[in-house]
Amino acid sequence: MRESIIMKVHYGTALGAVSLVAVHILFRLTQGFSESLQYESVIANYEFLPYALVLELILILISIHGFNGLRVILLELKQGRGYEKAVTYGCIAAMVAVIAYGSRTIILASMGMS
Amino acid sequence: MERQENKEGIKGWLNPGRYGIERFAYWLMRLTGIGLLVYFIAHIYETSTILNGKAAWEKMLELTQTTEGHIILAIVIGMCVFHTANGIRLMIGHGGIGVGKPGRPDYPYTPRSINMKNKLCIYASIGLAALAMMYGLGVMFGE
Repeated sequence: MRESIIMKVHYGTALGAVSLVAVHILFRLTQGFSESLQYESVIANYEFLPYALVLELILILISIHGFNGLRVILLELKQGRGYEKAVTYGCIAAMVAVIAYGSRTIILASMGMS
Repeated sequence: MERQENKEGIKGWLNPGRYGIERFAYWLMRLTGIGLLVYFIAHIYETSTILNGKAAWEKMLELTQTTEGHIILAIVIGMCVFHTANGIRLMIGHGGIGVGKPGRPDYPYTPRSINMKNKLCIYASIGLAALAMMYGLGVMFGE
């Protein structure tokens, strides 16, 4: 993929993540901060489907943005055909692993399997 | 040989002291990015403990809902706000807005793209981050 397209994806995921993270933080502030972290409250959040979808979207957007950012930083430090390939595939693998692990939590908790 | 001598690697990257506030913003953008990615992964792990039941979740809260935990969260809030505000400045700049018109390079060769507007935005981003940190600390310790 061309770097110009990757940067557009980077900016798009950033803007999406900023707006959804704002919703996520506002959810914490609807109750008191400590009360919102109580087990029952967190489970209720996961079981509320629209909010679970917001969490899943945040997970995907931040993972793409974060690991692409890490890839850019690592490519600024050092260049080379083998190194660049290793960094790119390493970041994609880490991104997939984080999305899979986070999705597992969201899916199981929203289905009441905790 | 000369290329090797000029290559500072990670030491050069970690030195924010050269080339003014723009270089400092460049450094802070990357540092906050890495910090936020580390926090994000830790947060994914932290929230996954809810699948192990109430006792495991409360044990995790005992670990994170402490003075140190709140201070770390306040730093994360600051990093997040700076990264967002400075990122928006960069996006606008990459779109060609606010970087000035290209012109003939004359002495003292001041880059037109690095103007007062951009510098002001960097200082504003740092200020906003500090305010958000104070607000976050107020919310976390005010209860």
